[in-house]
Amino acid sequence: MIALTNGNINTITNGVIKRGTILIDKGKIIDVGQNVKIPKNAEEINLRGKWVTPGLVEAHCHIGIWEEAIGWAGRDGNEATDPITPQVRALDGIKANADEGGLTAAYENGITTVQILPGSANVIGGTGVVIKTAPKNTVDEMLILNPSGMKAAFGENPMSVYGKNKVLPATRMGEAGIMREWLYKAKTYMEKKEQFKDKPEKLPEKDLKLEALIPVLKGEIPMRVHAHRADDVAIAIRICEEFGVNMSWEHATEGHRIAKYIAEKGIPAVWGPGLNWRTKWETRERTFETVKNLVDAGVKVALQTDADNGKIGFLPISAALAIRDGLSEEEAWKTITINPAEILGVGDRVGSIEKGKDADLRITKGDPLDPRSQVRMVFIDGELVFSR
Amino acid sequence: MIAVKGRKVNTITNGIIDNGIVLIEDGKIKKIGADVKVPDGVKTIKAKYVMPGLVEAHCHIGIWEETIGWAGSDGNERTEPATPHVRALDGIKANADEGGLQAALHEGITTAQVLPGSANVIGGHGVALKTTPKTTVDQMLIKNPSGMKIAFGENPMRVYGVEAKKMPATRMGVAGVLREWLQKTKNYMEKMERFKDEPEKQPEYDIKLEALVPVVKKEIPFRAHAHRADDVATAIRVCEEFDVNMSWEHATEGHRIADYIAEKKIPAVWGPSLTSRGKWEMRELSYETPLALYDAGVKFSIQTDAVGSTIRFLPICAALSVKEGLPYDYALKAITIIPAEIIGVGDRVGSLEVGKDADLRLLSGDPLDIMTKCQKVIINGEVVHSL
Repeated sequence: MIALTNGNINTITNGVIKRGTILIDKGKIIDVGQNVKIPKNAEEINLRGKWVTPGLVEAHCHIGIWEEAIGWAGRDGNEATDPITPQVRALDGIKANADEGGLTAAYENGITTVQILPGSANVIGGTGVVIKTAPKNTVDEMLILNPSGMKAAFGENPMSVYGKNKVLPATRMGEAGIMREWLYKAKTYMEKKEQFKDKPEKLPEKDLKLEALIPVLKGEIPMRVHAHRADDVAIAIRICEEFGVNMSWEHATEGHRIAKYIAEKGIPAVWGPGLNWRTKWETRERTFETVKNLVDAGVKVALQTDADNGKIGFLPISAALAIRDGLSEEEAWKTITINPAEILGVGDRVGSIEKGKDADLRITKGDPLDPRSQVRMVFIDGELVFSR
Repeated sequence: MIAVKGRKVNTITNGIIDNGIVLIEDGKIKKIGADVKVPDGVKTIKAKYVMPGLVEAHCHIGIWEETIGWAGSDGNERTEPATPHVRALDGIKANADEGGLQAALHEGITTAQVLPGSANVIGGHGVALKTTPKTTVDQMLIKNPSGMKIAFGENPMRVYGVEAKKMPATRMGVAGVLREWLQKTKNYMEKMERFKDEPEKQPEYDIKLEALVPVVKKEIPFRAHAHRADDVATAIRVCEEFDVNMSWEHATEGHRIADYIAEKKIPAVWGPSLTSRGKWEMRELSYETPLALYDAGVKFSIQTDAVGSTIRFLPICAALSVKEGLPYDYALKAITIIPAEIIGVGDRVGSLEVGKDADLRLLSGDPLDIMTKCQKVIINGEVVHSL
C-alpha cells in the first residue's frame, strides 16, 4: 500500500483537491481526499506540493507499430497491399520492448494509456488495441482492450495509395463503394451464420476477413474513422448509419466546419495531430481553434498526437495550445484524460482520479500543462514506472 | 560388432566415464561402461575423448548448396508467401561431395534438421537426417516431416512487401497470412470429417492444406523463424489461438523475453552467432543470450543456420557461449541431446545410452577446445569418417 500525501490533485471529474492524499493498493486507487486516514502499513511518499493528475490518455497513435528510427524493417502500420484488411491486427505489429522510442516517450511523459491503430492507407485497415505503456516483455501483457475498434479511412490516403496504382479506390466514391461492399458482405455472412446455426452443413466457411467485421456490425466495437475533411466524415456517417454501426471521428481537421452536425449525431472526435505541418491539401485548415469550436458545439473531444515516435510526449503541449486558442482549462484537461478514456471504452478504469480506478498517475513539479514542468513520477497500475 | 574405448567417454545424459568402453552391434549401442568386456576378436578403436555425434537443429546444408549460385539455391520458394506444400526433402543434394554435408560429417555433426528458408510466411516441411554420405537423401532420413517452417519479421516483409509490393508488407500482414491459412486448413479438415461417409461431398484434395493438417493435428510443430521478442510473441499468440505447437528458431532477442518463453514451455533454437548482425532485427545478437535463456529455464539448443561448411563451427558457438557464462555441461547438451529432443529424435540420438543409435564422435581432446580434432566419426555403427 502506498500513500501519496501533500499533492495538489486534479481529479478531472471531481475538481482539484489541494494538499490531498491518494491511497493506492493492489494497483487501484482506494481513497482520495484531504482527510484520508493513512494506514500503518502504507508506505508514505510526501509530494510536498507537487501536482498529481491521472495518467494521460492518447486516443490515437502508432507508437511501437511504426518504430522510431528503423526504416522499413520497423514499419508495421499499413498493410498497404489490399484496400480491405479487417483481418489484420495492430497487436501483431507492436514492438513492446522498453527501448522502443515511442513507448519510452509515452510513459516517461506520464502518458499511461494509449490506443494504437493501424494506419490509413486502407479503407478498412484492421483492428486497434488499447494498452498501458508500462514496459513489459510482450504487448500481450500490456493490453487493456483488444480489439478497441476497426480502423477505417476516407479521403486522400487510400485514394493516393490505390488510385495512383490504378486500383479501386481512386476516388471518394470508390472508397464509399468498397466500404459498403465489405460491410454488406459481412452482414450477409453474419446473417447466414445465424440462420444456419443449427445446420452446420449450410453454414458459410469461416472467413477471417468477414469475422473481423462482425463485432463492428454488432456494435461491440466502433469504426475508428480517419477523415480530415468535413465531406469525408459526412460520407462516413452516412455509411455507418446505413449499417447501424458506431464510429469515432479521427483527426477531425475540419471540425469547425461541421461541429453542430457531429454534435447532433453524438459522434466523438479525436482531434489532431496539432503539432505538425500541413502535409497535404486535406489538412490545410488545421488550427487549434477547431478544438474549442467542437467543444462549444457539444462534441466529446479528445486530443491526439497521431505519434509514431517520441512526439507522443507532446500531448500535454497540444492541450496547452488549445487553451491558448480559447478552450477552458477544465475542458482541455478532459481532452487528454477522461474523454479519450471514454471514447476508447476504458473510462471505467482510467482517465480520472477516483476510488476504484486504476492507479495511473502523473506527478509534476509545477503546473502540469506548463512545458517547463518536469514529470517527476509516473505510476501505472500502482507501480512507480518512472521517476527523476 | 566393434568397440570404442575412450580415456573419457561423455555420455551427456549420464556423466563422464573414465576409461569407458562403448560396445556397438547392429548400428546400436549395446553396452556402455568402464567394466564392459570386449568379446574376443572384436575390433577396438581408441580415442582420448568420445561423445555422441552432434545434432544441429536448424540448418540449410544441401538445400543451399555451397559455391554453386542460383542453380543450387533451393531453400526459398519465394514466389508466394504461403508454400506449405513444398518439402525440404525435395531440395537436398545428398552427394558426399556437397560442401555442407561433408563439413558436417567431418566435424562429427551426425544428425541435422534441414529446413526451408524464411522468405515465406509458411515455407514448407523440414526433415531430420543423418549426415552419412548416401546416394539419395531418402536413405539418410530419420524423420520426415520434422516440422513446418514459418517466418516472422523482416524476411517475409522484405521479400513480399518491399520487393514485390504484395501482402505481407507488415508484421500485421504476416500474422494475417498465417491465420488465413490455418483457418482454411481447419475449415478443410472439418468438411473432410463431416462428409467422411459421403465422399462425393468432400472437398477436393488440396495439397497445400493437406501439408498443414499435421500441424493442426499437433503431429508436427511449427518451426517459427523470429529474431525479435515481439515477433515470437506474435507467433505464440497465433499458435495459441489455433492450438498448435512451435519451436522458436533464432531467438536472437531471447534475453528480452526469456521468462515468457520459459513459462510457455517453448523450446528455442538459438543462433546463428558466428556471423555479422546482417539486419536490424539481429542487432542485439550476443553470446550473453544463451546464459539469459539458461537462467530463465528455457530449453534451448545452439544452431549455426549453416548454408554450406559453416556448420562445422557448431562446437565453437557452444564454446563462445561458455565464455559468456553458459555452464559447460549445458553447452554440450545444447549441441547434442537438446536439439535431438527439439527435432523429435531424442529417443534415437543425442546421447550415449544403451539402445540408441551408435553415432559417435572421437576427439583428440576437449570438445569445446578449438584446437581439438575430430579424428573419427561413427554413424549407425559404421566408421564413416577417419582422419
